[in-house]
Amino acid sequence: MPNKSGSLYGLTILSPIIDDEKATPSHDLQIRKYLAGLATDDGSPFALAPGTHLARLVVMDDVIYVGMPACEEHLKSKYLVLESNFDGELDDYLGGLADHVPEQLDSIWGHCVAYPGAGNRQAFIDYMKACQIDTTFYFAAINDKSLPETLRALHTRTAVADFIANHQGMEPARLQAEFVQFVAQLRSEPIPGPGTGGIARDIKTGGRNE
Amino acid sequence: MSNINGKVYAMNAITPMKPWKTWILRGFFFVLGRVKPLQQDLINLSFIEFARWVVLPRRGFPFLGNGQKREELQYDYLLFFSNFNGTWNQYIDAFSAVLSRGLNLIWRWSEKFPGSVPVTPFKNYIAQVQFDTDYYYTAYPRATANDLKSAHIVQTSLDALSLRAQDYTPAQFAEAYLHFVIQVQAHLGETGDAPVVF
Amino acid sequence: MSKLNATDIQGFVLRGYNLPVGRYLFLHLEDATRARKMIGQLLGQVTTGQRWDGGKPDSTMNIAFTHKGLAALDLPLATLITFPVEFQDGMKERSGILGDTGLNAPERWDDVWRGDRVHMWLGVNAKSPEALEARCAKLLATIQESGGATLLGSQDAAAVVIDGKPTTREHFGYTDGFGNPEYLGVERSSQPGQGKLLADGTWAPLATGELLLGYADEAGELPVAPVPHLLAANGTFMVYRKLHQNLATFRAYLDEQAALYGGGKEKLAAKFIGRWRDGTPLELSPDKPDFPLTQDPKRSTNFTYGADPEGTRCPLGAHVRRVHPRDDFGFHGKLIDRRRITRRGLPYGAFVPEGEPVSDSEDRGVIFMALNASISRQFEFVQQQWIGYGNDAHLGNDKDMLIGNHGGRGRFVVQGDTRPENPPFICSNMPNFVELRGGEYFFLPSITALGMIALSLVDPR
Repeated sequence: MPNKSGSLYGLTILSPIIDDEKATPSHDLQIRKYLAGLATDDGSPFALAPGTHLARLVVMDDVIYVGMPACEEHLKSKYLVLESNFDGELDDYLGGLADHVPEQLDSIWGHCVAYPGAGNRQAFIDYMKACQIDTTFYFAAINDKSLPETLRALHTRTAVADFIANHQGMEPARLQAEFVQFVAQLRSEPIPGPGTGGIARDIKTGGRNE
Repeated sequence: MSNINGKVYAMNAITPMKPWKTWILRGFFFVLGRVKPLQQDLINLSFIEFARWVVLPRRGFPFLGNGQKREELQYDYLLFFSNFNGTWNQYIDAFSAVLSRGLNLIWRWSEKFPGSVPVTPFKNYIAQVQFDTDYYYTAYPRATANDLKSAHIVQTSLDALSLRAQDYTPAQFAEAYLHFVIQVQAHLGETGDAPVVF
Repeated sequence: MSKLNATDIQGFVLRGYNLPVGRYLFLHLEDATRARKMIGQLLGQVTTGQRWDGGKPDSTMNIAFTHKGLAALDLPLATLITFPVEFQDGMKERSGILGDTGLNAPERWDDVWRGDRVHMWLGVNAKSPEALEARCAKLLATIQESGGATLLGSQDAAAVVIDGKPTTREHFGYTDGFGNPEYLGVERSSQPGQGKLLADGTWAPLATGELLLGYADEAGELPVAPVPHLLAANGTFMVYRKLHQNLATFRAYLDEQAALYGGGKEKLAAKFIGRWRDGTPLELSPDKPDFPLTQDPKRSTNFTYGADPEGTRCPLGAHVRRVHPRDDFGFHGKLIDRRRITRRGLPYGAFVPEGEPVSDSEDRGVIFMALNASISRQFEFVQQQWIGYGNDAHLGNDKDMLIGNHGGRGRFVVQGDTRPENPPFICSNMPNFVELRGGEYFFLPSITALGMIALSLVDPR
């Protein structure tokens, strides 16, 4: 099935946003405002719930008009797009979100049509699946490693580089003893959680530079 | 808006297609998905973490009732989502330079697609059909796809050596350790902050 | 590709003059009318790309402008805003992108670069110090008489002289000057390894538009250029960077690390850059220098890294492998063809042979001048992605060993094998061997464009 690549699942969801003339600001703007302030580091709802490698949320205002001779057309609803890349099966993943971050889900999808709330786990899962669009072609550069395995490996790489650099030329018996100790220590160490270390954006792009 | 988080860039693009052309595109993706060597160029580019194409038929937009109006569209739409490392220009340049044939097979069915070579009209088209990300999360903002691959190699090699490390004599260990270092020596780059985006 | 009009292109663009001494004058333009008149007076003295059939001249002179300089010359705003963003910004504004922070930050640059006062670069190269003085005196007289500009400062540079002969060595002892690419239409003796790699493994010149505005580039289109086209055509952009070399630090660090490294000091020095200090490429001769090889244009740059994916011959992070990765990223090198730059420049400061006392505080380094059609796509990309960062080379955040802005941190892995004379080795906690002391982005116009500027004949379209 094209939604999966190896053990990774590529989820695409389009949830229609409530179109209510009486809402001020409109629901799409309320979503944008909430997302602009939502933590993107280890405090992110996607870090607090298990399994997400990368995810994005996008308010899709409309389709894009590419100009003559194409026809101009417009959507009747705005859609909230969720693009997520996660470990395992869809029901478990959506259930995990509902279990761990129901308030955040409600703050976001509460502006969407027919959203039942994350408090009702099964209703939430059913709702999200009703909004799902099947992926036509999915590419995952690494599709056989879970998120915990990945975070552990990143932590290991740094530790190993340090270990090798600090033990050059050491005589074998001592090297062996220190290596054994290093491995034991590495196993017992806490691994930095998902989303850790995101940095402030510093962007100087734009304009005609190429 | 926030198209960038650490070392990854989130690109979204949407292009209109005449519905009869959609079937040709589906056929192409069907083949691409089953013939792995065709995907090799994507893998070799090595700066894409995840990417997907989603064909959204004109009658396929989620409809939930409850006052939502049904879409009335003439075009099907092709959605493209990519999570890549590096700069926007670098990404499009590379696509245009080495994947132009594959890209043309994917997007030539979209209205007004200028072709992926030369690169400037292609960039203008992408810029036109790109829409911005509101919220972008990555579990590993300080790592790229290359970093992840390297890290898994280091982990596997370390696990293999540590399994037997205690059983070796010191001389045997020294030899095994040297082989371990040689296995991982091309994979020891530091993880860290992304360069300033330009 | 039609033949280039060498009489319209500044000579500095088409060839390395290979003259042993140089002086770069930095001018501030005072008044647009007088400055234009001054340019008109200098115009006839600009060295063009014409062949020197009558032998090398005693001296050469070339001209380039900053964006502020072009504004000071009263070019129309409609033209000024069509220049690429990075050129409008200037190098100081790009310090974040370039990683010019910490020890390399603009606050630490030489005075002349700290304001935004430099408008014009006047480059003089000469056969001898006497010829240099004579030419500069004449030029300065012209400038002073015109009242169009004041001299803010100047930079002397000269080839390192060893045993009485000018050489291509730089202060760390490495032989320099192998790397410049070839371009279609630019007359030069051809050498495998200096253009672009083709799918069949042979080399061909790069598209002219990678160097000169107004010609097709490697993407099959004209490079981004200002309007009108006549102002841009046959011109190029120049990056000027004064790179101070901490020679004492370099020598001490090399000695210290070599004491721990099983391959010996000269091999370690070679691993840093990818060439033995005489210039022999490690990729071709990993175990010992081979001087005759460096003198053979068919061999000295003729190699790829495909057979050395782990870097056991030439380390993955060695300087030459970073800045010219050849086939390293697959696709027959196609991903690097639009990232090449042409280097000009000379060392400055006194050369001190190894073993003699030396101090970092002595004024010594290299004037790095790079020519390219797009500063952002070529120089800035190489500087940010390949020198200050390592992802394309699968090296994470590791920086270039020699010229990286390390600030006492970082790592450089020397990949090795099981032979005791080529062991794997890690250098850590690198100081800055090189520090940036200033610089700027310049536009080097064609002779036609200089004339248009001088006569105030630039219409935006």
